[in-house]
Amino acid sequence: MVIMKTGDNNMTERKRIRKRIKVRNQSTGHDNTHTDSCEPIPETVEAVKERLGEIFFGCSDFLHREVSCGKNGLIKILVAYIDGFVDKKVLNRDVIHPVLDFLSNTELHVGSSIYELLKECVIVNNDIKEANDMQQAVDNIISGEALLFIDGENKALVIGVKAPQGRQVEEPDTEASLRGAREGFVENLLTNTVLIRKRIKNPNLKLEMMRLGKQTKTDICICYIKGIANDKIVSEVRKRLRKIKTDAILDTGIIEQYISDIRLSLFPTVGNTEKCDKLVAKLLEGRVAILCDGTPYVLTVPYLFIESIQATDDYYDHAYFATFMRLLRLTALLISNILPGMYVALVSFHHTVIPFKLMITLAASRQGIPFSPFTEAILMIIAFEFLREAGVRMPRSIGQALSIVGAIVLGEASVAAGIASNLMVIIVAITAICSFIVPPLIRATMLLRFVFLAAANFLGFLGVTLVAVAVFIHLCRLRSFGVPYMAPISPLTLSDIKDSFVLVPIWAMVTRPRILWQKNVSRRKGTNGQEAKAKS
Amino acid sequence: MYGKIKKRSGIVRIAFLLMILLLLTGCWNNRDLTEINIVAGIGLDRTEDGKVLLTVQVVEPAAIQTVSSGKGKGGGAQPKPVFVESFEGETVFEAIRGILSIVDKRLFFSTAQVLILGERLLQKGMVEVLDFFQRENDINYGMNILVAKGVTPGEILEIENDMDSIPAVYIKETAENTVSRGTVKKTTLIDLIKDIDSGERQPAIGQITKAGDKEIRTEGVAVIKDEKLAGWLDPYETRGYMFAIGEVKSAIVNIPVDKGKIAMEIIRSKGKAKVRFENGEPSTLTIKVEVEANVGAYEGRGRLDSQDDLSILKEILKNEIKKEITQALEKAQKEYSSDIFGFGSYVHKYHPEYWKKVKKDWNDIFSKLPADIQVDVKVMRTGIIKSPVKKDE
Repeated sequence: MVIMKTGDNNMTERKRIRKRIKVRNQSTGHDNTHTDSCEPIPETVEAVKERLGEIFFGCSDFLHREVSCGKNGLIKILVAYIDGFVDKKVLNRDVIHPVLDFLSNTELHVGSSIYELLKECVIVNNDIKEANDMQQAVDNIISGEALLFIDGENKALVIGVKAPQGRQVEEPDTEASLRGAREGFVENLLTNTVLIRKRIKNPNLKLEMMRLGKQTKTDICICYIKGIANDKIVSEVRKRLRKIKTDAILDTGIIEQYISDIRLSLFPTVGNTEKCDKLVAKLLEGRVAILCDGTPYVLTVPYLFIESIQATDDYYDHAYFATFMRLLRLTALLISNILPGMYVALVSFHHTVIPFKLMITLAASRQGIPFSPFTEAILMIIAFEFLREAGVRMPRSIGQALSIVGAIVLGEASVAAGIASNLMVIIVAITAICSFIVPPLIRATMLLRFVFLAAANFLGFLGVTLVAVAVFIHLCRLRSFGVPYMAPISPLTLSDIKDSFVLVPIWAMVTRPRILWQKNVSRRKGTNGQEAKAKS
Repeated sequence: MYGKIKKRSGIVRIAFLLMILLLLTGCWNNRDLTEINIVAGIGLDRTEDGKVLLTVQVVEPAAIQTVSSGKGKGGGAQPKPVFVESFEGETVFEAIRGILSIVDKRLFFSTAQVLILGERLLQKGMVEVLDFFQRENDINYGMNILVAKGVTPGEILEIENDMDSIPAVYIKETAENTVSRGTVKKTTLIDLIKDIDSGERQPAIGQITKAGDKEIRTEGVAVIKDEKLAGWLDPYETRGYMFAIGEVKSAIVNIPVDKGKIAMEIIRSKGKAKVRFENGEPSTLTIKVEVEANVGAYEGRGRLDSQDDLSILKEILKNEIKKEITQALEKAQKEYSSDIFGFGSYVHKYHPEYWKKVKKDWNDIFSKLPADIQVDVKVMRTGIIKSPVKKDE
């Protein structure tokens, strides 16, 4: 396990979590496939076999092997595991083989415990734990460990022979970048923790494990750097995770919905990333990460609005360029929200502000269109959303067909048929392009666009302004784990402006974002335990 | 519990404030661009029996698109880019509403590029007519005003010109070209209203005439006195007038020299009209003009090598400009007795007590005052060469 065993806190924390989970399980399970938390492991292998057979009834992937050995064949040993989950070669080489060898060649003295001998001298694996009751034993089996039951013992050995699972570390599809590490997270939690650990070689990087989901028992890992992350935020994360009561955690997206501050907000208050270097940078800013087994998406909290326009490339490149890109992204965000609304307001209400020549162009392009600008805009935007959704859902191999149909139908035919004006096609196209520039807010802008559009059709610029004001009030009210969402702009934190819509060169970025209230603000000082302790 | 109540009342308060904003809306009729007629030019005149005659030039956007994209050139009848309609009414407003009976869509006046006033209208006074344009909310205060000389506004708006598909745009841009030459004055609606309202300066409005079937010419100004047409200034007098009020941006002044002619290009000019006071009474009108000029072209064989040559040049140019200003001033004083130079606004600003007394008779006082005209000329550059290529020794 990659879990750090140095911090005593961690251990107690884990035990507490275990206990909670146990208690919860106790309260639910009553049929015989469930185990009581205190049910002891039967002493005879026969009984264990029977009990496991009951629990794993109908699970064809559950395998066990009974070994009778010793000179007189009296010592019985049971190895139980889930097929495919453990590396059978390693199991045979490291466990079965040495055990058989040992037991058939050694004279056993009366009173010597086979259990201790096996644990300490025989088994070649270095990841050995103990299971003290049936619940623990079953838990370990289903999470891919091999269990070794020995006649006459009410303990079992847990042997970590997990086979490597899932795909290789690849470049993530969702977050492309021009520069920086290409490694992305994978579905395997342990691979992910290794990827993080590889980049932060410091025992202060803490990884706290817990299990969520009554049925799925998914491994969740809270990750932060002790001494940088704010303890209050860390404990708030723990608190909120523990509050989750659900059957299944299939993706961090589910966790995200449970732990958001304002659950009904359009705007994300929990960030997610697939990129290792991005996550590490966030940890170093004092954020807390939540990893989940089975998904490459890692959550980061607190997540602020400004993070949606930050990209990893920004920090690896010249600050001028990065600043320009940030402003560009901000503009794109604004455009993707209000452009259709502004256009409708302009051609329906505010003819007076259109310059004469532009007005003639506008009027000419609208000539003969049977729909009002509002209807036209709605139709075109919905058509575009269809295209986009189809692009996401359909099999990759028919993508070409879609793009041809999309380009011809949306772009050419609708104009030629006189259903949409040239200008509207341009407006929708620009809006669409801009909406892809800030991926974390795609969903929010998609819906807000319609709100702006409706308001513009009802009240013109005034409507657009009203909605904008309402959205801003909402944004300023939002909190992410207690941190104001619009920071550092509201509340204004001058020292944090350096990494907001502008970006100062990396050598001038001496402090971490102050709004997170880290313990260790300076980026130049070390973060080893002593120093952090001295500070706190 | 308490916190919840407080939170909710906050939302209610914001919602209430937002609802108040709804009351602040001015015009909120949702009208598509295809439901309005885009007016490019307006003409106003009176008929012989004293009715207001409104002429509008309306753009046909689709036709313009085909003209500019060349789609319509293949053959067949090209759609006309604009149409012109006229309507008579007792008042301007009646005419504007009445014209709806012959056009299909509501007229949108904010886009009007020019407002052309007829001579007959000005002879009867224009204040009453302009009132509508001040009152209406979608009128562009920056639109150019011109006075038609010898023709009716309708005839001018009906010209068809090849240079620009919209005649009103052609008129406006031609007028603006001429403004930079200094021979016509640019008057916007807001300028005119301000001048009439303050009474410190009599308006002078650019003049427009027809030159042939297809072209118009904008040169000279119409001098207004007491809201009525007093007379005209010719292009040279207009330039003198423009020098005096400091509105010449760039102009070409030809000056005779003993070995040919030199075209001087004015590159910068400042003008200030003031009134000198003695014992609380105005004694002299002073006009101070500062001009910077380049030698644009020398049609002759003289030399321009030395400082002396240039100083002679300076002297001649100075006299030429002075002559133009004097002509303009004399005409305004003697012939029209109309203070188009705005001496009144100087008096109002620096001698407000006196101004209050004479406000009504200012034009008469103005026309009797002697004038002191100072012109300061700087010749900056002679271009790339100094003397002409072929020069006398």
